[in-house]
Amino acid sequence: MRRTFGWIAAALLVVLAAWKLYESISPRAEQQKPLLFVPKTVDGRSDFWRVLGMGVQTAAKEFGVQVQTVGTVAETDVDGQIALLERAIEERPRAIVLAASDYNRVVPVAKRIQAAGIPLITVDAGLNGGIAASFVATDNYEAGRKAGEAALRLLPQDATIAVVSFVKGTATSMERERGVRERLAEAPGVNVLEETYFSDGSIDKAYRIVSRLLRERPDIQGFVCLNEPTTTGAAKALQESGRAGEVKLVGFDSSTDEIDYLEADVIQAIVVQNPFNMGYLAVRAAVDAARGKRTEPVIDTGSEVITKQNLYNKENQKLLFPFDDPD
Amino acid sequence: MAQRRLFRFKSIHTSMALAFSCLIVGITALLTYNSYRLSASAATGNAKIYTGQLTQQVNANIQTYLDTMASISALAGSGEELEKLASLPDPQSEEGARKAASISRFFRSVVRSREDISTILFVGSNGAVVSDRAEAKFKPLDDITAQEWYRGARDSGGKVAISSSHVQHVYKREYPWVVSISRMLGRPGEAGSGVLMVDLNLNVINNLCRQIQLGQRGYVFILDPAGDLIYHPQQQLLYSRLKSEDIPSLLNSKTGLLTKGKGRDLRLYTIGTNDYGWKVVGVTYPDELVGNKGEIRNTSLLAGGLFLAVGLALSVLLSYRLANPIKRLEHLMKKVEKGDFNIRVDVESTDEIGKLSRSFNLMIGKIKDLMEQIVEEQEQKRISELKAMQAQIQPHFLYNTLDSIIWMGEMGKMQDVVRMTTALAKLFRASISKGDELVPVGTELEHIRSYLTIQHIRYKNKFTYEIELDPDILSCLTLKLVLQPLVENAIYHGLKQQAIIGHIRITGRKHDGEIELRVSDDGAGMTEGQVRELTAKLRSGEDGPGVGLPNVNQRIRLTFGEPYGLEIESEPEEGTTVILRFPEIPGEGAA
Repeated sequence: MRRTFGWIAAALLVVLAAWKLYESISPRAEQQKPLLFVPKTVDGRSDFWRVLGMGVQTAAKEFGVQVQTVGTVAETDVDGQIALLERAIEERPRAIVLAASDYNRVVPVAKRIQAAGIPLITVDAGLNGGIAASFVATDNYEAGRKAGEAALRLLPQDATIAVVSFVKGTATSMERERGVRERLAEAPGVNVLEETYFSDGSIDKAYRIVSRLLRERPDIQGFVCLNEPTTTGAAKALQESGRAGEVKLVGFDSSTDEIDYLEADVIQAIVVQNPFNMGYLAVRAAVDAARGKRTEPVIDTGSEVITKQNLYNKENQKLLFPFDDPD
Repeated sequence: MAQRRLFRFKSIHTSMALAFSCLIVGITALLTYNSYRLSASAATGNAKIYTGQLTQQVNANIQTYLDTMASISALAGSGEELEKLASLPDPQSEEGARKAASISRFFRSVVRSREDISTILFVGSNGAVVSDRAEAKFKPLDDITAQEWYRGARDSGGKVAISSSHVQHVYKREYPWVVSISRMLGRPGEAGSGVLMVDLNLNVINNLCRQIQLGQRGYVFILDPAGDLIYHPQQQLLYSRLKSEDIPSLLNSKTGLLTKGKGRDLRLYTIGTNDYGWKVVGVTYPDELVGNKGEIRNTSLLAGGLFLAVGLALSVLLSYRLANPIKRLEHLMKKVEKGDFNIRVDVESTDEIGKLSRSFNLMIGKIKDLMEQIVEEQEQKRISELKAMQAQIQPHFLYNTLDSIIWMGEMGKMQDVVRMTTALAKLFRASISKGDELVPVGTELEHIRSYLTIQHIRYKNKFTYEIELDPDILSCLTLKLVLQPLVENAIYHGLKQQAIIGHIRITGRKHDGEIELRVSDDGAGMTEGQVRELTAKLRSGEDGPGVGLPNVNQRIRLTFGEPYGLEIESEPEEGTTVILRFPEIPGEGAA
């Protein structure tokens, strides 16, 4: 009779083992935990972050993960973002997709996220030391080079060009500026103003800077502006000066204003990023990282040069005029 | 060989349990897999039908929208006002402005009645541009006429042209996503002609497609006849080549069904085409559309596991119940092998094992009976042999004695005749003795005395004799007629051939619960070899010319058992002593 019990016990063990095996291979358990998306801002007025969010949602649907979006309203609320991340560590999400609001100050909390074993992906804005499993963003150096290239095509070989940047010391602005300057330096005749002007991301300040430069340096034949408000402010100044078209303007990012100026030939070219792909690829990288797969340390989502001629190309329409998401 | 041994089990129990287990595992696996496969394929089938219906429905809805737009376009272009406006030499004139205002009002009323119309616009060949907006800021005319919807209408010869989805940019600072339905009014180039455009808000189509839930990852997209995307949830991914759809094969598909990808990414494309050449494509992932596929699998696995456990337990129990009685039977048989026939199997069941047990019982009973019978027969045989042996002794001796009596009578020795005849009578009386096998030693003594008397008369001067028996043993029982052959032997073999007068001495005493009778002569004796030969003869019980001693030996052993019997001591020229031993059995009169 003892042997019979032995057999039954063995059979039960087999069943138990099968159940355990099933639980371990069942994807349900890991899917129940959401993936945390922390953009720089949850302000719905920002086209860039709205489209990036659409990319995130598209990927979430495709890879069958839930995404929880938390963030601060102001892009500059670094402390708020740090506090959010601190709370997130306790909830142990499946992975975190983070757009760091500060290159340096967010690093300590990011290190704690890593120490807690939560995969971390940075999107758009990275962290000092590159501690994330993946950094998904536009290659800003490459984008800068494209802007420089566009300017060179528009201008004569001995042109004088000014570079107007936005916030001093941010990784994005530095990379873009380096790209622009290095590309322009490759053209021997071109004269680039040594000084870099900073608009601090303000249309008004950009407008004032460019207006002043147009007055003081009539020899300037081209401007390269490194983000959206700076470009818009510069375009406004150019239009008012009456020298639009004559002085060439290459800008960054897209907005309705910029497109208007582009169509009006005030702006000749804009370099645009691909926030949808950024969001999509960040989630894909996060899902991979959560499944223990190796991820690329840097994922470039590319940039496009838009001119009046290719503005309404099929591909570019989507990039420049995102669908209104009913959600 | 080693492998074969692996499957050779010592007990039926193990082999049965194992066989059952294998069977159960096999059947369970088969059934589980089959039920899983069947339900999965049923679910896939349902999913296909469901997807087909959904796609068809989306297609029908879009068709309705486009039909409505076409009829609105027809309605808007029906009046003569447009033609009149387009015929004016200068649309900027006062009359032109008046007409344009009235047309604009009409357009406005149409657009207001429907939310899905983004705008209605007319561009006359004379440069007149009028829309539903009261104060619209139009792009330059050249920009407008360069746009695709305008060229499409101009080139389609009066038919309705439907654009792909695009960003409408006829107004300044307005970039809505629309599908443009445009139509040429009049002949191109002629006065009074123009292009009428109705823009359908793409959000209508977007929402329609977005609402469709095709599982977790499934989606719907729309292609125009050229294969351009009108709507795709991942349009941007397609443009940046992160993803791709095999558009040529979708356009060329005749069946309306296509499968792409592998495993988890297996996609099923269901294609519906409407009158305008648009293709509505529903994409489903069969792997997940079988929504509860995992659940089916788990349930199947669990059920399989449970059945397996129950089945294994049952098989073990069953094989135990079957094998156990056989084991018990085997155990009992072992006992029988060792000679225990007093065994019965308790039979409860009526199955084959029960029948076997009953047969076993019967067989054991039969064997037992046979054994008893044999023992009895042997006993009978022994007794009859004994009797025969006794009987053998008598006649020979009787004839000799009678011969002697006759001879003595002829010689006139009447005294001797009387003595001999008396002794003979005594002898027979003693030997007949009611047929009992066992007689007191005293009776046996009487008998041997009579015998010696007779022999002494016959072989006068040949030997003398003496008898010295312990009086205690006289009442003890002995086998009858055991001494006579010994004495006879002593006379014939020990003394008869001797020239000198021999002496026979019979002694008897008790010793450690056994009685020892000795018959000694001082005759020729035997060599050591002869003694051994004779002893061997005694043991084997061989019949032969000298039947006397073996016969006695055998009778004693048959009666009293192995350790008893005869023993011979002899020296050449010294004489022979035959020792007879048997257990002390007190006779009736002893007490």
